[in-house]
Amino acid sequence: MKPFFAQIERDLLIAWQNRQDLGVMLVFFVIIIALFPLAIGANATVLDPLGVPVIWIAALLAILAGFDRLFAQDVRDGWLDQIALSQLGLGWYALAKAISHWLTAGIPLLIMTPLMAMMLNIPSQQWPPLLIALLIGSMGLTLLGVIGAALAEGARRGTALMALLILPLAVPLLIFGTLASQSDRGIISPHLMLLGAVFALLLALAPLVAASALEIGETETGL
Amino acid sequence: MTNNDHKKPVRKPAPSAADNCLHINQLSVHRGMALVISNLSHQQSAGDICCLTGPNGAGKSTLLRTIAGRLPAAGGDIKCALPIIYIGHTDGLSGAISGRENLAGWAKINGFSATENAIDTALSSFATNQFADLPARVLSRGQRRRLALARLALAPANSLWLLDEPNAGLDQASSRILDEIVQKHATAGGMVLAATHLDFATAAQPRSLHLPGLVT
Repeated sequence: MKPFFAQIERDLLIAWQNRQDLGVMLVFFVIIIALFPLAIGANATVLDPLGVPVIWIAALLAILAGFDRLFAQDVRDGWLDQIALSQLGLGWYALAKAISHWLTAGIPLLIMTPLMAMMLNIPSQQWPPLLIALLIGSMGLTLLGVIGAALAEGARRGTALMALLILPLAVPLLIFGTLASQSDRGIISPHLMLLGAVFALLLALAPLVAASALEIGETETGL
Repeated sequence: MTNNDHKKPVRKPAPSAADNCLHINQLSVHRGMALVISNLSHQQSAGDICCLTGPNGAGKSTLLRTIAGRLPAAGGDIKCALPIIYIGHTDGLSGAISGRENLAGWAKINGFSATENAIDTALSSFATNQFADLPARVLSRGQRRRLALARLALAPANSLWLLDEPNAGLDQASSRILDEIVQKHATAGGMVLAATHLDFATAAQPRSLHLPGLVT
């Protein structure tokens, strides 16, 4: 397990040096949320039910927007070659990437969420289900993003390709996530369980898919 | 294109501990549509230093990457049961963090000793201590190269070193250090296969493997 944590440690060190990227992501999240009321108009009866969906859409876009360069830098630096020869292996490497990306993008987003919920006038008894659902949902989206980044790695216009590949796959997370966030049956709703099931499936599959995508991408386009 | 097109190089464990050699048998490798390496056979045993020569595009880097398992062989097989250290064109350093952090991270993902002491010793092997704590992006090409080569000091004694143009961009002093480290590794029973256009470990009289160029 030591190589696995070493990879996470390395990614966190790099993320700390590039911490301005985090600011960009958070501002992006806030701007999307702020634009919705501007476009819809100041009508409280229309706006109130839109609060939770707006936060979910903004979180989805903000998390996926940070993904296009996830593996690109490691490929260009030659780090991926070193990973492939190391004890770590590409699957664990992809999982380590997902964890460090979630720690540096998902957590700050969750911390911002109560502030955004306040701004959108979401009643405070809705916050716990929203935050729990967003916690699991952001982890699921991160795993999806890892798949997309690995598949699009080395492709021309990788960002657009990744959005095309990943956004349709994010639909189950979005549906169960928004339903679980608006549940009036307490925090642990059936929708939250389904959201958890989607996350568990992604947790099992994403490292494997990402590893084989990186393997193929590298052997086809490598130096 | 045959049906064994994307076969990975076979890396079987050696039948006995004494058989710590590199066997390349009838190897062929495609890049794009071209057959870059065709029917190449090569043997190398413990203590051998081998220089890989040939014109640009002859497949030197391709051969090294294939042995490292980063490219699929179109035919033939590669047998090597030893740990492989590959230092390619790219240095494998992240520009955002320091050389020391890069080297320590590399040691940890390979399960090598990453104590303060071990990293310091490795860094001083190529006299990189002075700039090891700067972010790697501010370093020159040669300085980055020296940090990448400092990994060799952490490698296990019986490993196979695949070096792609290791001394390109190095100053004379560092080239001499590299030659010494390579010779010491060979004396200790290690193997080195290096693609190079420059003088490399000449004192040890390395063998030479010449790749003729593109086969059409």
